[in-house]
Amino acid sequence: MVYLPITSVRAILLVLGWTSLMVHLPWSVADEGQDKQREQAHFFENKIRPALIKHCLECHSTATEASGGLLLDSFAGWQAGGDSGPSIIPGNVDGSRLLKAIRYEDAKLQMPPKSKLPLDVVEVFSKWIADGAFDPRVGLVAEKSSITGLPVDRAQDHWAYRSLSSRNSSSESVDSSSSLIDKFIDARLAKDGMVPAQSASQVALVRRLYFDLTGLPPSARDIRRLIGADGSGELDYESLVDRLLKTPQFGENFARKWMDVARYAESVTLRGFVLPQAWRYRDYLVQAFAEDRPFDQMIREQVAGDLLKHDDLRQRHMQLVATGFLAMGNTNLEEQDKTQLEMDYIDEQLDVIGGAFLAQTIGCARCHNHKFDPIPTRDYYAMAGILRSAVSLEHDNVSKWIEQPLPVSDDDAARFRQLSDQLTGVTKRIASIKKSPTIADSSKKSMISVTDLSGVVVDSRDAKLVGIWTVSSAIGPVIGDGYIHDGNSDKGKKTATFEPPNLPPGAYEVRLSYSASDNRASNAIARVFSADGEATVVIDQKKKPPEEGLWISLGKYRFEKDGQAFVLVTNDQSDGVVIVDAVQFLPAESRLKAAEVTKALDIGVLELANKAASKLEKELKLLEGQKKQLETQLGQRPAYLTVIEKGPLVDIPIHIRGDVHNLGEIAPRGFLSAVKTSSGNLIPAESSGRIELANWLSSADNPLTARVYANRVWSWLMGQGIVSSINNFGTTGTAPSHPELLDWLASELIRSEWSTKHLVRTIVLSNAYRRCVVESGELEKRLDPSNSLYWRGYMRRLPVESIRDAMLAISGELDLTAGGSLIRGNTKADYNYHHESTRRSLYQPLFRNSLPELFEAFDFADSSMSIGLRPRTTVATQALALLNNPWVTARAKVASEKYLQLDPANDSPLWLNDLFLDCFGRLPTELERHACQTFLQNGNAIDKSDRLQNMIHSLFTSIDFRYLE
Amino acid sequence: MLPNFINRRQLLQNTACGFGTLAANAILASEKPTQPFSSTNGLHSIYHHPPRAKRIIFLFMQGGVSQVDSFDYKPQLDDWHGEKHTFDDARQLAKTGKRTEHHLMRSPWKFQRYGESGRWASELFRESAAHMDDMCLLHGMHTEGVAHGPATLFLHCGATNFIRPSIGSWILYGLGSENENLPGFVSIAPSVGNGGPRNYGSAFLPPKFQGTKIGGAGVDSLSIDNLSRNGMPHYSQREQFDLIQQLNRAQFQRRGNHDEELDAAIQSHELAWRMQQIAPDVLDLSGESLQTMEMYGLNNPKTRSYGERCLMARRMCEAGVRFIQVNYGDNSANPAWDQHSNLPKHSEHAQAVDKPIAGLLQDLKQRGLLDDTIVWWGSEFGRTPYSQENGTGRDHNPSGFTVWLAGGGFKAGYTHGQTDEFGFQGIEGRVHMHDLHATLLHQLGLDHKRLTFRNAGRDFRLTDVQGQVVHEIIS
Repeated sequence: MVYLPITSVRAILLVLGWTSLMVHLPWSVADEGQDKQREQAHFFENKIRPALIKHCLECHSTATEASGGLLLDSFAGWQAGGDSGPSIIPGNVDGSRLLKAIRYEDAKLQMPPKSKLPLDVVEVFSKWIADGAFDPRVGLVAEKSSITGLPVDRAQDHWAYRSLSSRNSSSESVDSSSSLIDKFIDARLAKDGMVPAQSASQVALVRRLYFDLTGLPPSARDIRRLIGADGSGELDYESLVDRLLKTPQFGENFARKWMDVARYAESVTLRGFVLPQAWRYRDYLVQAFAEDRPFDQMIREQVAGDLLKHDDLRQRHMQLVATGFLAMGNTNLEEQDKTQLEMDYIDEQLDVIGGAFLAQTIGCARCHNHKFDPIPTRDYYAMAGILRSAVSLEHDNVSKWIEQPLPVSDDDAARFRQLSDQLTGVTKRIASIKKSPTIADSSKKSMISVTDLSGVVVDSRDAKLVGIWTVSSAIGPVIGDGYIHDGNSDKGKKTATFEPPNLPPGAYEVRLSYSASDNRASNAIARVFSADGEATVVIDQKKKPPEEGLWISLGKYRFEKDGQAFVLVTNDQSDGVVIVDAVQFLPAESRLKAAEVTKALDIGVLELANKAASKLEKELKLLEGQKKQLETQLGQRPAYLTVIEKGPLVDIPIHIRGDVHNLGEIAPRGFLSAVKTSSGNLIPAESSGRIELANWLSSADNPLTARVYANRVWSWLMGQGIVSSINNFGTTGTAPSHPELLDWLASELIRSEWSTKHLVRTIVLSNAYRRCVVESGELEKRLDPSNSLYWRGYMRRLPVESIRDAMLAISGELDLTAGGSLIRGNTKADYNYHHESTRRSLYQPLFRNSLPELFEAFDFADSSMSIGLRPRTTVATQALALLNNPWVTARAKVASEKYLQLDPANDSPLWLNDLFLDCFGRLPTELERHACQTFLQNGNAIDKSDRLQNMIHSLFTSIDFRYLE
Repeated sequence: MLPNFINRRQLLQNTACGFGTLAANAILASEKPTQPFSSTNGLHSIYHHPPRAKRIIFLFMQGGVSQVDSFDYKPQLDDWHGEKHTFDDARQLAKTGKRTEHHLMRSPWKFQRYGESGRWASELFRESAAHMDDMCLLHGMHTEGVAHGPATLFLHCGATNFIRPSIGSWILYGLGSENENLPGFVSIAPSVGNGGPRNYGSAFLPPKFQGTKIGGAGVDSLSIDNLSRNGMPHYSQREQFDLIQQLNRAQFQRRGNHDEELDAAIQSHELAWRMQQIAPDVLDLSGESLQTMEMYGLNNPKTRSYGERCLMARRMCEAGVRFIQVNYGDNSANPAWDQHSNLPKHSEHAQAVDKPIAGLLQDLKQRGLLDDTIVWWGSEFGRTPYSQENGTGRDHNPSGFTVWLAGGGFKAGYTHGQTDEFGFQGIEGRVHMHDLHATLLHQLGLDHKRLTFRNAGRDFRLTDVQGQVVHEIIS
């Protein structure tokens, strides 16, 4: 038997256990196979088991968390493997994932995560697997949750997946609908002997309706007209409802509500990129709600508007722009792994589609089957496959969202096409000019080609160099490829030799070219080697070359066949930069002629070159101006934010554990398998499935959609949903307080052809809506303190948009212009953006890094995710904002000027009535009147306007301004 | 010397008159347990286990300090300078999935040993390295995100892309504040870029847990938005405040005196008024001694800015703020320490922060605050030991970098983990950012697996489904 080192107490025990087992085996019959098995067992116990315990089981055991679904505490565990399949293939070292992981070969699969195992341990594992991975440990593999929390085939166990209860789909008269609401609500109250509160006062109701339907306060004039200043006139409630439903402000107000759900924004957090076309989607919503576009149609337009048929240009516009819904995500465009980025993008879309239309948390099924709801991972990737072909980004280091030109009339299209062609031409011409050598270096210097010169010219490029010479062309004119200089260093160690190949014998004038400058040597040395011997010429390179601005003559020399013929320039003892551009050997007899040629060059070619260059420069300038102009003109062509249906129509595989690089089985495109509609869940082969998805979502048979939207509208008006978890109708959401009412409202929505206005009207005409806030009985308070049964009115708090709009309305500054983008031109990033406009809040650029004034303090919806219900907090930062924010102070100041004008005498306090009607929709109480008057009178005449400002500011800050009755 | 605001604070607390007790949802509830343990509502108020620290000061070095030029000494880089070597470059790996070749680059700075623990640091941080024996160095840090935005969000929120609460808001949610008159979580001079407010936001946690911004990157003044009104004399403010509360009372009465939410709103005005009186005192550095100011480098224009932020951090610390982030960065897409092409610029940044950090450590120590305060120094990632194409700077490196911790029950003078011979990748004692988060929470008495919040149908954690407490570094 081999000697095995015993390294630990554990090992001793294991070995003892093993030997005692062996006792039962007569040694005599032990054959080779048994020997081998014994050896393997020994190896396992001594090497593998301790290593597993020490390095792996902390995360991969039934006792801990089975990270990645992998168990390494039993044979069955690793045989079954983790989410990515078997981790060990006995005998196949390189094919075993476990080995890959511990070898740290794949940067994405490295185990143990904290540090790489010592090499000898890796070797041990490798040997173990090569030998067949003997493992004596028995153990049960915990059953992997292969099913969802609620199995798909039992989805109907949960109320939300059942179809709308049939008895409600009967054709109850629409006229009596509001009283039907009360029938449901009152019946539920009566069950517990609860009595609903009485109707709120007319004064309270007018203010409530105005804010709920339009988001704006009624003015003092509105109130006087409707019910009189003291609220005693009779209110025609129903006709006020109808009138408000018809205002454009209704569209704006409801668009803003839906914008919370659609996580609408006009920039991206990272890098503050501005989405310049996002506003069109907002304007689509304003229009759609104002004209009461059927909501099922709005769903189709938002999910697949780009693919829908259309009759005219306007319809086409609306549909295209609506698709911006898919492109509003707050995405990490910097993600370097673009596959990851694309899946994250789709995940975000699924999250919003799920939350907004179905109130389902689909995103939970990205990494594993939904732990609570009937949504298997397969469904997630079935839907992801649909969105995969809707390309949302153009990739680059930082990827970019997609904007497309909006279709225009044929005439306009032709004009834009022409402009676009012109732009292409101009751009091409600019590029070619910039590439031309004349212009490329013409800004400061001219290039003179060696071939343009007479005689034999040796360019600095062809010189033989000793030491480091730097090539440059900073100061022109330059012959050939720039000049060389010694960098004013290593004096005496650098030489440059200019030797013409095969110089015909004869007499030549030798000239040297350099560019002069103050930093040059005054004593650069050139030595001419000729048949006459060696001559030394000292050149003052601070001075301009005397001949034609280019050359200095080194003298006349004779050169013989095969004799020495070169010029050596050295920096020996030079007192500045030594520079050489070229050396010219001019045949003596052509000297004159050559001089003329060079002169011609000097004043002719050179200037010609310069002239050509400047001509090109002029053209370039002109073209660049044209380009800018064309771009501006083309920029006027409207574009929109969208996705493009151009990806491949393919089913995508399940991403194991959500890892984009760990792919499993293919999931055929489809929808939530728990929700079947009569149109079926089939996707034709030639379709990506997005239209089918839109139809499935907006189907009257889809039990979720109508319920979810009806509940949403209800919550917008009643303060809380019948299902209070507005964006979650799954099993972890809350159950409906009034299931029958919910189903009836959903059916009513469908019956009215998905009319939002009809639903709103029905709700606000009910008694339940009109209840007073404060009246209350002891029993009711005890049984239902949170008012989830609607026995009293809920206390509305103005959303921040209304707080802001109301202040502007009272100061007289509110600009009711509708639509369009308010982003100032040239806004490249949204950081520290200053919001100046006095338009309604919903039109302020919704910048994720720079929200409009007050938004952050007053519970504005996080525009990075779909929000069903905004938080409702009461924090000191809100009080601080109201007290000290300069924007608020400024509104109070403008308002004070307005009210001072109203009543120049300012003694009679009639104007105070108007101010209170504007601020609170009611007259001041005696206490309030007294407090205000005392405050005003305490000052002297000089600071009267200041005191009025401070008083109005106090009204803005007091509780009745932002809490409705 | 105790700041004089304490007395004033007591005075105000004793004299403040409200309409009943502070409502539970008013703001910034005190440390007193007000509610039983609950995973969905407000404060835990109960520790999961005995805490070792009460608060954190996070010195954020935005842009990515190079570990091999600061605390992770790699003499091999000198020998291999200019040589080509194959690396799992994070950027290339994410883009192409392939390994790439790069030229190694030595550090231009000299290294020497510091303290009794005799650990190496470069001359960039010679002043803070004088406190080497108080530091626990984590050399094997690694994180997610190759670009600044994602990595910065991951550092603060534990996610590169998804909208998640920041670590400060999780801590405030878990523990509440020690001072009801101050925000419990502040970020001093934060950048607007690379996630901006999301890095101190509360995401789906209730907004009262979000961080309060003090000043901003590139802004000299260190003030809290809306904390005071310019140009209005105090007596006028008081007079106006009295009118507001008079109106509030009248309106409350008119509605029958019984709505809790309205009561809370009125209370929040009282609280705002108190904050308005007290917070400016904490923000005011002028009462500090000359000696202290000098210790933080306030007398030198180069160190003044970060020195003021560090000094304010100490004052916040004394005032009971839970999480104080002291930012060194700017608003650009390539912030502060991001030396892709000009590595020598590191010395400019080091000069700006080194003395203030040393001053802060010394000050906390001499005041006995370091025992229950964690000082955490670090960036969103480190830098590569090899140069970028132009050969004059280093690229981002999320797979190995150094973070140091001091105080708060961490082992002083201890080194945990190491990177490979070039300082590129952690090879031993690797600590993922999730692990660091888990460990920081652990020291505050919070179990990262139990600090959860229910949102959209599931329980969320700072550490997602990851994170392990690094017990080796706890003393």
